[in-house]
Amino acid sequence: MIREQETTLYLGPQHPGITGNMMVKLKVKGDTVIKAETHVGYLHRAFEKLIENRNWLQSFTLLCRFCVPEPDPMELTYARAVEQLEGREVPERAKYIRTIVSELARIQSFLLWYGGQSGSSGLYTLGQWSVGDRNYILDLFEDLTGARIYHMYMWPGGVRRDLPEGWIDKAYKTMDYLEKRLTDYNQLLFDNAIFQKRAQGVGIIPKDKAIEWGVVGAPLRGTGIKHDVRIDEPYEAYDQLKFVVPTYEGGDVWARALVRRDEIKQSISIIRQALDKLPGGSYYNRIPNPMKWTVPAGEAWVKTESVRGEIGFYVVSDGSNKPRRVHLKGAAYAHGVSVLEKILPGQNIADVSFILNSLGVCPPEIER
Amino acid sequence: MSEKNTIGIPTVEEIKQAQIDFSPRCTAAGRVNDKETQKMVDYILNFARKHSLFVLAYGTGCGAIEIPATMTSRYDAERFGIRGAATPRQADILMITGYLSTKTLKRVIRVYEQMQDPKYVIAFGSCTINGGMYFDSYNTIKALDRYLPVDVYIAGCMPRPESVIRGFVKLQELIQKGNAGNGECYRENLDWYRENQQKVIKNWDFPENYNW
Amino acid sequence: MSNFKKETKILKSLKDVFEIKGSVKSDKRISIKADKKNVSSILLFLKNQKGFIHLNHISCVDWIEQNEFELVYIVWNPKTRLTVMVHTRIKRDEPVMENIDTIWDQANTYEREFREMFGIEFPGLIGAKEFILEDWDNIPPMRKDFNSQQYAIDTFSTRPGRENAQNVREAIQKRSGEEIPDFAKKYSRD
Repeated sequence: MIREQETTLYLGPQHPGITGNMMVKLKVKGDTVIKAETHVGYLHRAFEKLIENRNWLQSFTLLCRFCVPEPDPMELTYARAVEQLEGREVPERAKYIRTIVSELARIQSFLLWYGGQSGSSGLYTLGQWSVGDRNYILDLFEDLTGARIYHMYMWPGGVRRDLPEGWIDKAYKTMDYLEKRLTDYNQLLFDNAIFQKRAQGVGIIPKDKAIEWGVVGAPLRGTGIKHDVRIDEPYEAYDQLKFVVPTYEGGDVWARALVRRDEIKQSISIIRQALDKLPGGSYYNRIPNPMKWTVPAGEAWVKTESVRGEIGFYVVSDGSNKPRRVHLKGAAYAHGVSVLEKILPGQNIADVSFILNSLGVCPPEIER
Repeated sequence: MSEKNTIGIPTVEEIKQAQIDFSPRCTAAGRVNDKETQKMVDYILNFARKHSLFVLAYGTGCGAIEIPATMTSRYDAERFGIRGAATPRQADILMITGYLSTKTLKRVIRVYEQMQDPKYVIAFGSCTINGGMYFDSYNTIKALDRYLPVDVYIAGCMPRPESVIRGFVKLQELIQKGNAGNGECYRENLDWYRENQQKVIKNWDFPENYNW
Repeated sequence: MSNFKKETKILKSLKDVFEIKGSVKSDKRISIKADKKNVSSILLFLKNQKGFIHLNHISCVDWIEQNEFELVYIVWNPKTRLTVMVHTRIKRDEPVMENIDTIWDQANTYEREFREMFGIEFPGLIGAKEFILEDWDNIPPMRKDFNSQQYAIDTFSTRPGRENAQNVREAIQKRSGEEIPDFAKKYSRD
């Protein structure tokens, strides 16, 4: 007679299927998860403590490292928060450049997601293609900012540098190339019977609970609820550009993947529009000497749409040259802990890393 | 292209002329009495080792974001024989991709001790060298080589895939010369390493013996 | 600009029920200050009556000069897209705050973090004591009186060479002997 016993499984921190450096402690019975518990803190660098000892501009070096796959929304959100506190205007050209850069950041993060999502279902070819093609976006970043991953490009008052010569043509070309490649990716992933069978009906987030649970971003749009910060509270140049926010019903991994598939197309279209409309003029409202630069006392709560969902910065200033408090709310803060713990019970062990990838859990965002 | 093939399979003459460091640390296997033969055996072993480097898939820090780029089609680290391994017991290289928080350090030490000899450590990023931008953080260690023996440092934040590959190639050179692989060094100086580790990890609950 | 009709309406309905101070900060942002004991009933009122069903964020600020912690609850209404920020102050000497994870489950994560990082107690809070840190034996690290740099110097062995990094320009000048031009001096730290 076979008795079914409960076993404890530790998924991570050293595990190829985990997203980043975190641990999910699973209670399993046979192949099914009964209880899940997220353990984080392996990437805790005490950013929010360190930023209190840096001045307003120095904090950018730390800020962009909050979430590694997509550092630009962090810079943008913080820069907007500081601008809001100070009442600093941003030139029109800078707004467009910021929009382009944050959409490029979205695309490269989507391509990384293609690799993660297909890799966790055993399809390694797509990862080779999409992560390889991601380098073309990083090349654009390199031309623009000088770095591949961490840019520190969007500063309060605008952007650090103007677009270099020939960059716009290169960006157009890259978008054309990516659009062609997307067909290949989607054939490889969405026409694949393995992925279809594994993704449909797995990791369901109920529609009626989603907002209350704190689900945001693609997982929320995958349940059929239309919510996007770029439309709810338009920032930068998003109110002047046309784009659709895709939604799908179902709330499972499949729906989330479809949402992301459509969003990357929207991002390409947004970049094209912004490049077409790019106005001339100044790109930077100069800030005073950063060592002595003080920001008026007050608080700001600013939200931005990143790939994983809505991220927000709560910034408090006490009128000195250092921030009093900078507190990040990452999308993964709810996704990675409370939502994950709710949807994992009842799932298969093999699907855990699959679900983790589809929720876009980014542990450095949780523990900072 | 030179006359040699790209991997550079050595001739017997080259093996005889090669300068090999007879330090005890990287000659764990294949001891023979004859010194000349030993040299040959070492050379061939090192040659084989340097072309099959399995990197443990453990993204300990933010440097892990450049690893996929290094492994995939553009930079293609597999042409150097470098690829991922899922568990520590199958891996040759432990890659410390960036800062280590004290909580991760404990796991990393455990992972390192589970790996089989010969094992190599690559420290990735400025924060493993002297703390980098986290010099005043209460939760990250500042100098990795106080806690684990490091073979190659790759500087930068973040290092580009080219510099990652350069680091690997440097490690391959060191392996060929017999200068890499500090597993034995770690065992010999275990007391010093343990003392440093226990300063940081407060609740020390490791097994007593090293070989577990 | 709009005249904040929706925002004022929400603020008025809150002021009718509770004793609060508040104002409309900007477009879609309503900021209120409430007493510690009213917070959970305000949040419940906002959630059940006014449709603010999404808990965006909870933040904590250490105001060591006033000997107080400030907790900020940020809630969001998906229909009207308004945001209400509920501020409350608690004493630093007896940091106890009401547990709201019965209203929103994800508040549990925040509260576990604040228990660890600020030392604020939430009676009835379930979940592991250690969330982010491990074997921490000092004062909670996010408090302002915890000196991170001093702790790092005391605990971790460091590599020499960073001591004179306080003023990079001067350090470079000393090493190389070159002169700092006048225009560059005004950007130095002091």
